[in-house]
Order: sequence, then structure tokens, then C-alpha cells
Amino acid sequence: MKKIILSIVVVFVSLVSMAQKPEYFQTMGETLGQYANCKDVADFQALGNKFEMIANVEKAEWLPLYYHAHCYILMSFMEQDATKKDGYLDVAEKSISKLLEMAPGEAEVFVLQAFYLTGRLVVNPMERGQEYSGLVAQATGRAMAIDPSNPRAKLMKLQMDMGSAPFMGLDAKSFCPQAKELLANWDNFKPKSPISPKWGKDQLEEIVKGCQ
Amino acid sequence: MKPKVISIILFLISVNTFPQTVITGKVTQEKGEAMPGANAFLQGTYDGTSTNTNGQFKIKTTKTGTYNLLVAFTGYETYSKKLELKGDTIHLTIQMKEAFNQLNAVNITAGTFEAGDKRQAVTITPLDMMTTAGAAGDVYGALQSLPGTTTNGESGRLFVKGGDSEESQTYIDGSLVAVPYNSSAPNVNTRGRFNPFMFKGMVFSTGGYSAEYGQALSSVLLLNTNDMPAEDQLDISILSVSMDLAGTKKWNTGAVTATLGYKNLTPYMSLAPQNLEWPHAPESSSGELSVRQKTGKTGLFKFYSSFDKGGFTIRENDLDLGGIPVDYKLVNNNQFMNGSWNGNLGEKWSMNAAGSFTNNLDDIRYAQTKVTKHIQGIFLKDVFSYPFGDQFTLKFGGEFFQKAFNQNVQMSSEIHDNSFSNRTISGFTEAQIYASSKFVTRIGGRLEYSDYLKSFKVSPRMSAAYKVTDKSQFSVAYGWFFQNPLDDYLLYTRKLMPERADHYTFSFQSFANGRTIRVELYYKDYKELVKLNGGEFYLPTSYNNLGYGYAKGLDLFWRDKKTIKNGDYWISYSYLDTKRDYRNFPEEAIPTFASKHNFSMVYKHWFGNLRSLAGINFKYSSPRVYNNPNSPVFNGEKMLPYRSLDVSWSFLYRQNVIFYGAVTNVADFKNEFGRTYASSPDASGNYPGAVIPPSSNRFYVLGCFITLTRKGNANQLDKIE
Repeated sequence: MKKIILSIVVVFVSLVSMAQKPEYFQTMGETLGQYANCKDVADFQALGNKFEMIANVEKAEWLPLYYHAHCYILMSFMEQDATKKDGYLDVAEKSISKLLEMAPGEAEVFVLQAFYLTGRLVVNPMERGQEYSGLVAQATGRAMAIDPSNPRAKLMKLQMDMGSAPFMGLDAKSFCPQAKELLANWDNFKPKSPISPKWGKDQLEEIVKGCQ
Repeated sequence: MKPKVISIILFLISVNTFPQTVITGKVTQEKGEAMPGANAFLQGTYDGTSTNTNGQFKIKTTKTGTYNLLVAFTGYETYSKKLELKGDTIHLTIQMKEAFNQLNAVNITAGTFEAGDKRQAVTITPLDMMTTAGAAGDVYGALQSLPGTTTNGESGRLFVKGGDSEESQTYIDGSLVAVPYNSSAPNVNTRGRFNPFMFKGMVFSTGGYSAEYGQALSSVLLLNTNDMPAEDQLDISILSVSMDLAGTKKWNTGAVTATLGYKNLTPYMSLAPQNLEWPHAPESSSGELSVRQKTGKTGLFKFYSSFDKGGFTIRENDLDLGGIPVDYKLVNNNQFMNGSWNGNLGEKWSMNAAGSFTNNLDDIRYAQTKVTKHIQGIFLKDVFSYPFGDQFTLKFGGEFFQKAFNQNVQMSSEIHDNSFSNRTISGFTEAQIYASSKFVTRIGGRLEYSDYLKSFKVSPRMSAAYKVTDKSQFSVAYGWFFQNPLDDYLLYTRKLMPERADHYTFSFQSFANGRTIRVELYYKDYKELVKLNGGEFYLPTSYNNLGYGYAKGLDLFWRDKKTIKNGDYWISYSYLDTKRDYRNFPEEAIPTFASKHNFSMVYKHWFGNLRSLAGINFKYSSPRVYNNPNSPVFNGEKMLPYRSLDVSWSFLYRQNVIFYGAVTNVADFKNEFGRTYASSPDASGNYPGAVIPPSSNRFYVLGCFITLTRKGNANQLDKIE
């Protein structure tokens, strides 16, 4: 019962805020729709630019900054040149530090921080592995403490576990049942608003595919 | 037909209701090349777009009135223009200006090797140092794979660009370390006192360094200790020669680590063949305590203290006593403390305060002689820096260093007690000026006053760097460097001046795609070196500052992390031409520590399926000279070249359990480090001599590192040597 009331309240609140800022929600909705069309670094940069522009208008909203950082993290994963990778992550880092001040109670912010730190690690796993795997674990831990049901936090942890499995004398595939279960339950998680983060399912599907 | 009509109607309506302004533009970089991906938008609105591959953009807006058009791109200054929107078409040509950013700007690299993990362009990282085969986990051992250094196997200390080992200084978190090496017997190699795992980064400057550092003629090694640990943990290290136990407790704003260590080479030496006889193999017990505390938003306070008590007895044939074996027994007691605070004072000022305390006592017994050497050092320093805008930073500070040295020699019939205490007070200032992101100069000076020598010295320092392309740059450095004479001389005289070296360094460095190349040319002019005139060593009149010398050479460094998958290698070569007339030299000659050609190659390979990191390195130093008193030529004999092929293997059994093994000189090259001679000739007028061998032909290490954490997944990856 409590849950139902809570979700009604959440929906109501988000509806009210949507009603208050129709232009914001509309623009965010449109911009988020462009994620599907992004294929390369340049596309994500253009999209990230759009979010930066929205963030410039909506100084009180954390989501535009969130997506801005998200785009730059994705760019770092698509880029080959290590110096450029770090450059994109420098941009993401700035937005994330603002996010940590603006919305320290949001699990999604810590998930994004974990994703960003994973990006840093991937640039040079040999040298950054030890330090950054600890930092990623810290960030996912904080996300899960705020919201234990967040599937993206679980995804971050799963990726880190599978990535470091070979170093721990484990088979990455031993995490496959966990991955499958997470995928099966993915849609049970209800985002707070239509423009709240939803990403991660494709990434997880890729992982599950790799299990076969 | 119908849709067309509708769209025309719609168009008309929209034109009628909202006058639409169209802004088109082309965005270019400074050199006129198109800039794709720039963010062009009207400030405070949702109207905006990104530039296409030709740098062009088009914004349609129904807003009217005055708006700011912003064009932004990472690494460039944001372009801003006020536009009057009234329904017409505006066309703009926009040239973006590169923003100044010290991180991407040129930096001075003449003479400097930096290690850290933040940037890709650094040449050597702390992990590299730890995984270098042959370094045996010694900071100084690892540095000897870099160009500009000469390996002296009978010493183990740093010899840089034709400089003696005393000409190099070590700093930890900004504080001078008065006794950086373990005590050892003459002609037996030593190691650094500090565990390399303490450090997160280092700067190794082989010449032309900043005015912040004094009392070093050849090089400074700046070590930075780790910041905050990530979590509570217990580290256990078991090596074939030692055991260490370290516990870390962390809280929100700070952490404390306590370490206990015990080293004993007896079991090892009974198994591995030794060239020297050890009635008592090296044994020591040590303890360390390290504290980290964050203060305020930016400050970090670090404190480290250690004690170490150890000793050994080595049996040597005394050539002065007709070659009969005599025991050399050493007991060492060392205490070291180091504290630093780093942080911002207000908006712009930043401060770095540091201090250290050293107490080192050596008790030596040799035949009937008993020698006690006691060194006490206190070092204090405070550095302030203030940025005037982005491109000009002023740094200044002061330093106080007090060193007291007492030597007591008891022979069967006589006792000699000598001591000195010197206070050096220094002030320095340095300005760093960026003319652009491509050109930087650093100009500074240092004043030093030594109260024991009553000497006042001024050292100008200058350096500059110019970025030729994105990936390559030239650097130059020039400066005067002063250092007080050896403690052993200051015991008997205060009528000496500090010794002096002038450095001229020119270097080229290029970094692209995981490959680094460095070429460095240098010239060092030594002046006012201490010279002995042949009188008795205990008489002040036996010393003067008439010594001189030079060193010039070429250093090459090549590193490639890219070509071989999972492989990484670097090659160093140094050419050195040096001569001096100093100390007891009868004439200008090549010093014994210098070797003309130094070559080192390090290769590491990660075998993913074996979870192993393998390392191999090869080192070659061309024959050095030594003096044979039976020969008429001073320093006229040549020893064998030094060669060593070392291998290491690290195996990650679990992420928190690492096994490690290493062997030096696997090819069993014969090495020797010259000869030692009796101080007086025998009955036939001949000086009897003996070869100085390495303490063992090979060194074997076996080890296991275990890390225990609550989560159980941390490891000591950076502990692999």
C-alpha cells in the first residue's frame, strides 16, 4: 500500500513539474530521443552539446548535466587515442563534480560516477587498475546504499566483476547467471520520471549475448 | 497537392505569428581549419545546434530582441556575440581562440623524468619502477635503467651525468632526506632506505632543476608519498630475505598505517653462493607509522616516521696487515620523521610546508678500531605560490637546514673526536611565465648562507620550453648549483667554500601514440671543488677549493608501449665524457665512477592467460677506470665492463595474492669493480692488491604479497617488483 501511495506521489510530483516546465520536458524528451541516432564520437559530441545548452538554461536541474557527462563518457569508450579518451573524461569529470554537489541524494549520480571511473580505468588498466577498481566499487556501493534496486548500479558492479575476473583467477562466465537474472528483472525498475536515466539494457544484452 | 498547400499555409502562419531569425555561421580554428562539433546556441534558450564537419551551423529561432550567441568547444575560449533578433538572416564567421590550459601547455622537460598516473605523456610511472627486473624493489636500482645514470655495482647509489653519488639529493614530500641510503661497508653495495610502495609519484631531475632545490650538484630525486588509502587493509609481504606486516585504518578524512618489518639474510646467504664472507649476515628490525589527514576543503597533512635498527659483520682480507682476515662490524640506528602540509590559503595563494628530522648513528668496529658516526639533521621549508592570471605564477619560499656530524674514532692508544654543525638558510623565488601555450620560461634564483663556512652564494636558474608540434618540444635549462663539501672534510676544516657546478642542458622530446623519444645534450662545468694538497688529512691547511672538472654527454631514451601487444619496453643509452682534478687526484683524470657508454634495455610482457607479468632487462656499462698505485699513470687501469641480464616473474594467484620471483645476472656474466690496494708498499716495493667482486654473482628473490580487505578484492599489484 505504502509503495502504491509513494509511486502515486512520485508520478503526481513529476506531472506537476512537467506541467510547470513543459518546454524543458519537451526539449529533454526530444534530445533523449536522439540517443538512438548516435553512431560515432561526433554524434555524441553534438548530443552532449545539446545537453550542455539545456543545462545552461535550467541551472537547477541536474539531469541535463547528467546526460552531458554521460555522452562524454560514451565518447571516451568509442575513442581509440588514449590522450583523447582522457580529454573527454576530463569534460565528464567537471559535470560529475557539479552533479555530486547538486544531487548528492540521487543513486543515478553515483552510478554515473562509477561509469566515469570505469572509463578512466579502461584507458590504462595495468596502471590504473588497482586504484580505480577500488573507486568504482566505492561509487557503486554508494549508489546501492541509496537505492538497492537500481539496475544500473548492479550493471556497473557486474562489469567490474567480469572485467577483473581473469585477475582473480575466476572465469568471467561464472557471472553469467547473475547477468541473465539482472536482464530478466531489468524492466521491473521504474524510472522516477519520463526523462530519468533508462540506459544500460543494451549494454547488458551484449554481455548476456557474450555468455552464449 | 494538398500537403504542399498545408505547408504553405503553415509557413505563412508561422511567419505571421513568429518572425523567424536565421543565424548561419562558419566556425574555424586559429589556423582557419573548420571546427566540427562546436556548440552554437543562444544563451538562455533551447535554440542551438552543433557545427557540421565543415564547421558550419544554422540556427532558426522565433525569439526576438537581444540575445547572446555563444559558441563553445572544449579547450577553446567560448565565443560570445550580442545579436539583435528581428526576423532577418544573420551570417557570421567565427574564429575560435585556443584557451590557455596549463595541463595541455608545454612544460619544461630538460633534465627531468616524471612519474605519475594522471597523464599519458609521462615517461616512467611508479608501477614501471616496481616491475623493472633487476631493480630488486629498490627506488635507486630502478632509476639506474634511465639515461644519465651510471651503474656502480660496488656502491648501489645514484651517479648522475658524471657526478659523484654525494652530488644527488633525495626529497620526500618536499623535505630533504639527510641519510637516504642504508649504511654499508666500503665497496659493498647498498640500497635506499625507503620502501618504494610508499610513493605515488616521483620527479627525477638529472640537471637544470628549479631554484627550489639546493645543496645538490648533480641531481635531485623528488618522491611524493601516497595520498589517502582507499580502504582498511592488512598487507603481508614475505620475501626470501624479509617479512613485512602493514595495517591501514581509514576514517572519513584521514587514515593511519602502521608497518613492522624484519629482515635477515642469514638463511638466504647460506643457500645462495656469496663472494664475501659474512660472519653475521645483514639483519634489521624496522617500524613505520604514517598518518594522513585532510584539512578543510583542499588541505592534506601527511606525517611519516620510521625507526630502523640493524647491522652486519663482514670479513675482509686486510691488505695492510698482509692479507689476514679482519671483521668489519656495523650497527646502525636510524630514526626519520617527515611531515608536510599542502593546501590553499584563500582563493589564490597556495602553500606547501614541510619538515624532516633525521637521527642516524653508525657504530663500526674494525680490528682494534672503534668508530662512531652520528648525524643529526633538521630541515624546514615553506613554499608559497601565487598565480597572477593563468599564465604567470610566482613561487617563493625559505628553507632551513641544520646538520650536525660527530665522529669519534678510538684506536688502541688514542681517541679522536671531531664534529661540526652547520646551518644553511636559503631563500628562493621563481617565476613561471607562459607567453602562449607553446612557450614557457622559468626564471628564478636562490640565496644560500652557510653559517659554518660563513659563505653566501647566489644561484641563478633559468629554463624554457617550446612546443614545436602537438607532440614534440624543445627544452633548455641553465643554472648554477652549489653544494657544501663532504662531511668528512668539514670535520677538519671550515675554511672551504661550497663546490659549484654550472649546468647547460638542451633536450628534445616527442610523444605520440604510446611512443616516447628523448634526446638530451648537456655540459657541466665543475668549479671550486675540494682538493687535497697532500698534507695530513686532519690539518685544515691540507684542503683548498682549487679543484675543477667537466662532464659532457648525450642521453637517449626510447619507450614504446604500442608496437608489441601486451608488451612494453624502453631503451636508454648515455654517452659520457668527463674529467676532474679534485680530492686526492694528482692531475686531471677520469673519475672511477664514470663509464663512457651506458646501455640499458627493459622489457615487460603481460601474459593474460597465465595472469603473469614477465620482465627482462639487460644492462651494459663500458669499463670504468681504477687506480693502481704500482702504475705510473693515475686512474690508468680499466676494469671489466659491467653486464647483467635480469629476469622477473609476477603471478597473480588471486587478485589479492601475488607470487613473485626474480633472478639477476642469469647469463652469469663475470663482473668486478676494480681493485683495492694496500696503503703502503710491501718489502719488494709493490702495493699488494685484490679484486673488488660483487657481493654475489646472482641475486635471487622469491616473494609472496597478500592483501586482506573487508571486500577481499584489493591487491598489491603495485608491489610487483
